[in-house]
Amino acid sequence: MNTFMRWAGILVTIFIAAPLVIVVPMSFSSASSLQFPPPGYWFGYYRAYFTDLDWLIPTWNSVVIASATTLLTMLLVVPATFALVRHKFRGKSVADLMMLMPLAVPHIVMAVGYYSYLGDLGLVHSHMGVILAHTCLSVPIAFLVLSANLKGFDRNLERAALSLGASPTKTFIHVTLPILRPGLIISALFAFVQSFDETVVAIFISGRNAETLPRKMFDSIRQEADPVIAVISTLLFFLVLVGIAAPYFISALRSRVPKPSRSPAGAH
Amino acid sequence: MGSSLSRLTEKTNVWPWLLLAPLGIYMLIFFVVPLVDVAIMSVTDPRLSLVNYERVLTGALYQRVFLNTFLTAAFVTVCCLAVGYPLAYLMAHSKPRTAMFILLLVTMSFWTSFLVRTYSWMVLLGNNGPLIALLQMIGIDDTPQLLFTRFSSTLAMVHILAPYMIMNIFSVMKKIDPALIRSAESLGARGWSLFRHVYLPLTAPGIANGSVLVFVICLGFYVTPVLLGSPREQMIAGLIGHQIDEFLAFGMGSAMAMVLLFITFVILTIYHRRFGLDKLWG
Repeated sequence: MNTFMRWAGILVTIFIAAPLVIVVPMSFSSASSLQFPPPGYWFGYYRAYFTDLDWLIPTWNSVVIASATTLLTMLLVVPATFALVRHKFRGKSVADLMMLMPLAVPHIVMAVGYYSYLGDLGLVHSHMGVILAHTCLSVPIAFLVLSANLKGFDRNLERAALSLGASPTKTFIHVTLPILRPGLIISALFAFVQSFDETVVAIFISGRNAETLPRKMFDSIRQEADPVIAVISTLLFFLVLVGIAAPYFISALRSRVPKPSRSPAGAH
Repeated sequence: MGSSLSRLTEKTNVWPWLLLAPLGIYMLIFFVVPLVDVAIMSVTDPRLSLVNYERVLTGALYQRVFLNTFLTAAFVTVCCLAVGYPLAYLMAHSKPRTAMFILLLVTMSFWTSFLVRTYSWMVLLGNNGPLIALLQMIGIDDTPQLLFTRFSSTLAMVHILAPYMIMNIFSVMKKIDPALIRSAESLGARGWSLFRHVYLPLTAPGIANGSVLVFVICLGFYVTPVLLGSPREQMIAGLIGHQIDEFLAFGMGSAMAMVLLFITFVILTIYHRRFGLDKLWG
């Protein structure tokens, strides 16, 4: 069983990895359509991406929408998470469940709802409409991350500050927030990525005016599979790589543990 | 907000409600009302009747699409399990460096946008792609059409959803106490019987979690089936989009959306009763 699992695992590793790395050589291809391996290499499609407003404007729209979504999500989620993690009250379990609801509804269902509802409000095809919709979809993800962090919070630290005479506000600013900062950052990052990558709702409600990058990519793939998509895919791929690798590097730099300690992954 | 923290006592019951109110009101206006809107449209467009549901539930086209969606979701779930289980095993039981590498890869895949991964499969399976070239190299000249078929959309969906399965199974596997395996071995369990009677039951919660998650996401999958699948074998989300986009048939689109939502909720409710929904995404 062991050798079988091993070989199967190696095959699956290739299956998982291949589609991730193939876009990198594609993005330097000189072919005008999907062709692999590429007949030649150049930077033409990178130039095409960085000079074409048809691509840059959706990119900018996505950045603006995801930033605003993150801000709005955090403003709503942070107080709510404190309420749900730190207080006991009647109806709490229902409220907990309601927080997760947007994850349970397929995005296509929400897309139909927003298309009609935001249309009635005159917000369809606007940045504001997409931000309002995306915030609902980002709330549960931000909540899951933040509540996990808040549950692991050692409240004795706050009690110590209070007993030493710090006011509740001071305690919150100088004790609670700094300790919670990593959780807040990761939670915000999840909200940002959720909005930045969200495709289905954006396809239906962003229109020409607030066209997001995923919507533009979707349309482009559907129509002609513009090789510029390979460029964007490569850039996104490296962004993800940096995002995942950065915490390791930062913690490695901070701790500078010289001896190769047994990592927790090898503990079994 | 600060003073709310100091009042750790649960005596004052206004604070939690005050903290929850902004989010609650927001979700009511921008999440619940749009959903109710869908429900209303499904019975009022074009006129007040249940005719949309009647057509969705009895029409041959819609029945076929629902059945196709179900079978696809089930098949994708089984494939994700077949693909995910060995990889999770490899992650949980190999040297830290190998485990780390695979974990990084799976995390990368998870965080890479659906669209990027869908596009990659278009390149891999395209007529000028490496897979066709490989087939031609080994002497198959009459190469099959891979792209825009059930095959291509299923393959891409398995790739896209596999990380959900892998992460869920891995998180269970790495918590298994090696002493349990050793004691089973000392009692004579070997090979298949050790796997069947000890290891597999221990990993069952991860399998259940991963399968429910993959199945539910797959039921409502829009992007990949629309871009990579055959137009003749649509899935339900694609058909809903079609009704809205092409025909502006909000009534029909909404009725289908409600049926999809209902099925999803039934599955998640059953899951919630047994395991608790908070564990599904946690």
